[in-house]
Amino acid sequence: MEIKTTTDGTRLTIAVSGRVDTVTAPELAAALNFGDATCVVIDLADVPYMSSAGLRLLLSSHKTMIGKGGELQIANAQEAVREVLDITGFSDILNLV
Amino acid sequence: MTSRSSLNLKLAFSILAAFLLSMAFSWFLHDRLSERDAYALIDSTFENVQDELADCIDERLVLVCMAARERLEDGYPDDTESLRNLARELRVTEVSIADEKGDIVRSSVDDYLARPGRPAFNFAATDDTVANEMMGLVDGRYTEYCQPFRSNPANDNWRKFIGVWRHDGGFFEIGCDAKALQSLARSTCVDLFRNWHVAGTGGIVVTTPSGLVLSDYEEPNREGTQFQEPDGSVFYWKRKEIESFPVYVMIPKGSAAVQRNVLVGSTALLNGAALVFVALLVAVVISAFVRQQIRAQEAKELKMATDIQLSALPKVFPPFPDETRFDIWASMETAKEVGGDFYDFYFIGQDRVLFLVADVSGKGVPAAMFMMRAKTLLKSAAQTGKPVVQVFEEVNNALSEGNSSCTFVTAWAGEMNTRTGHVTFVNAGHNPPVVLRSGKPELLKSRPSLALGAMPEIHYRVGELQLEPGDGIYLYTDGIVEQPNKSDELYGEDRMLRVLSDPERRGKDILDAVLEDVRRYAAEVEQADDCTQLLIRYRGEPDVVSHEYLPTMEDLARATDDVAAALESVPAKAKNKLLIAADEIFANIVRYSGATRWALFVVLTHHPEGVRLIMSDDGKPFDPLIHRDPDTTLSAAERDVGGLGIFIVKKTMSPVTYRRRNGKNILSIGKDYGD
Repeated sequence: MEIKTTTDGTRLTIAVSGRVDTVTAPELAAALNFGDATCVVIDLADVPYMSSAGLRLLLSSHKTMIGKGGELQIANAQEAVREVLDITGFSDILNLV
Repeated sequence: MTSRSSLNLKLAFSILAAFLLSMAFSWFLHDRLSERDAYALIDSTFENVQDELADCIDERLVLVCMAARERLEDGYPDDTESLRNLARELRVTEVSIADEKGDIVRSSVDDYLARPGRPAFNFAATDDTVANEMMGLVDGRYTEYCQPFRSNPANDNWRKFIGVWRHDGGFFEIGCDAKALQSLARSTCVDLFRNWHVAGTGGIVVTTPSGLVLSDYEEPNREGTQFQEPDGSVFYWKRKEIESFPVYVMIPKGSAAVQRNVLVGSTALLNGAALVFVALLVAVVISAFVRQQIRAQEAKELKMATDIQLSALPKVFPPFPDETRFDIWASMETAKEVGGDFYDFYFIGQDRVLFLVADVSGKGVPAAMFMMRAKTLLKSAAQTGKPVVQVFEEVNNALSEGNSSCTFVTAWAGEMNTRTGHVTFVNAGHNPPVVLRSGKPELLKSRPSLALGAMPEIHYRVGELQLEPGDGIYLYTDGIVEQPNKSDELYGEDRMLRVLSDPERRGKDILDAVLEDVRRYAAEVEQADDCTQLLIRYRGEPDVVSHEYLPTMEDLARATDDVAAALESVPAKAKNKLLIAADEIFANIVRYSGATRWALFVVLTHHPEGVRLIMSDDGKPFDPLIHRDPDTTLSAAERDVGGLGIFIVKKTMSPVTYRRRNGKNILSIGKDYGD
């Protein structure tokens, strides 16, 4: 798994590359450090699939950002990821862009 | 139906009896009423006759009385003897003269006159109020006064007295006994009531005391003839003497009965109409009720037969979720009146699956019962592991024994070796099945043996064929090929083969497509017989990879890589889903199962291409299928991710099966993704 983080003022973009599952989730969890960012974008363009271990991270990140008055955006979810988000009802909760 | 018509007859009879009874009562009632009415009419007629007759007689007698007074005023002597002569001359009984005080001063009757020691008869002083009224002639109330014919209270003589006033202040009176009255008034009475009818055809008859007719309503010419008293059976009648004249008022019973007849007749008509209406209504209601009962009973029987038939059939598909070497689908669409079709399939040993379709002769409950018996016998014989031909011979003997109803069952059964695809089959008088090779349908014509149950000790011919991976066998009953359309032409094998040759359809879709084509063909014609189909497809031996792991995160990572490697050839879309599902299961096993070791089998199946991931662990029993699904409609704050993994697996994989066997959880998940 590769994680690239870019900051643009208070906007933090975290680009993930590779599958998100039980094995890789701890690595992603460690990278989800939002600092003072008020807008966090998690870019899933290069994530072929994501299991519930990844969903857990997305939900907790979402709650964190809402908690501090910020915003979390999930960008470029691919078909398999999108399908899991739809099945679980996360599409309605998360801010997909 | 006999009970129904006898019910109708009884009903009609009671209605008729009730009708007649009510009519008889009505007749009796109106008869009494008309008799009472007739006598009331007779009584009131007598009052009128009394007035009319008395008036006429009075008029006549007043003239006689006035003539007598004239004679006296003209100087006729008034001594007793002269007055007697005058009375005789006038044909009256007595003549008297009273003064203004009411004393009789002159009379043809000595008794009325004053004698020493006894005063004259005085009209004012007497107790007789009728006699008192004569004083009206003195005080100017009357110029003439007529007493009725009556018994004189003074001497018990029957008399009618008539008085006229006199210029000198007193009055003149004549008295008539019955005989005098008769002779003086007789002519007055003649034909007096001739045109006076009572109650239509009844009337009044007046006679002399000796019974000679004076006035007759019916035959005026009968005057002077002897009158016979009316016949009580023909007339309502009464006799009264009025002014000494016997008077009869009579109403023919027929005439009085007119009203009764009209009443009873109209009542009968109305009641009859009402009864007919009620009878029709009741008949309609009852027959509708009976029909409904019969229909309900029939529907119940039909439903029972259908239930029997359907309950016996395996209905869960896929029936063997772990099975990767063949697929099997079957369906039965029962006709309104069930035809005793059935299908069945079961393993009869390691790698040996038996499948069959059968059709019992006859319909309804008997066919359903026979079907149950045949199906049970077949299964119990087959499960001993005998070859299918032997199974058929045993079942045939069992069904033939004591089969008095001559019910039989056609059946086609095949036994497939699931490893090799080799099929041996027996056809007991059934339609030839269709073999699907490389998607091309072909009828498997073989000489059929006799149907099961038709005759004992039959030897059944065995057929054989070899299926290649992807090949299938389609079984059906004649309900499919013999469904007529409205021109009474049958659906036939060619139409069926055309549907089967469509390469786009797989598995259950094929069965649905045939059934739909049959329905479309039949259009508005009702389904004639049960439509039963079975399709088995040999998929061939799958490719299996297996690995063993420890419950560690390292091994979990290894297992993830192993799965990904095994699924290399699988299209990305299916592969991603399988990888997600695998990760969920692996995580559960490693984190929560308490297993000491676990294993993974990746099974790549063919025809159609598919994957089964079978995971076993020796951890605590855990059936993910019975876990409650999470609520996916909650808000972010309320959501947590517990149970989501299993939920994703259940939503994306099919089939998903769980077993606990030999102390192990065995979870199989899979997906078919192509041919």
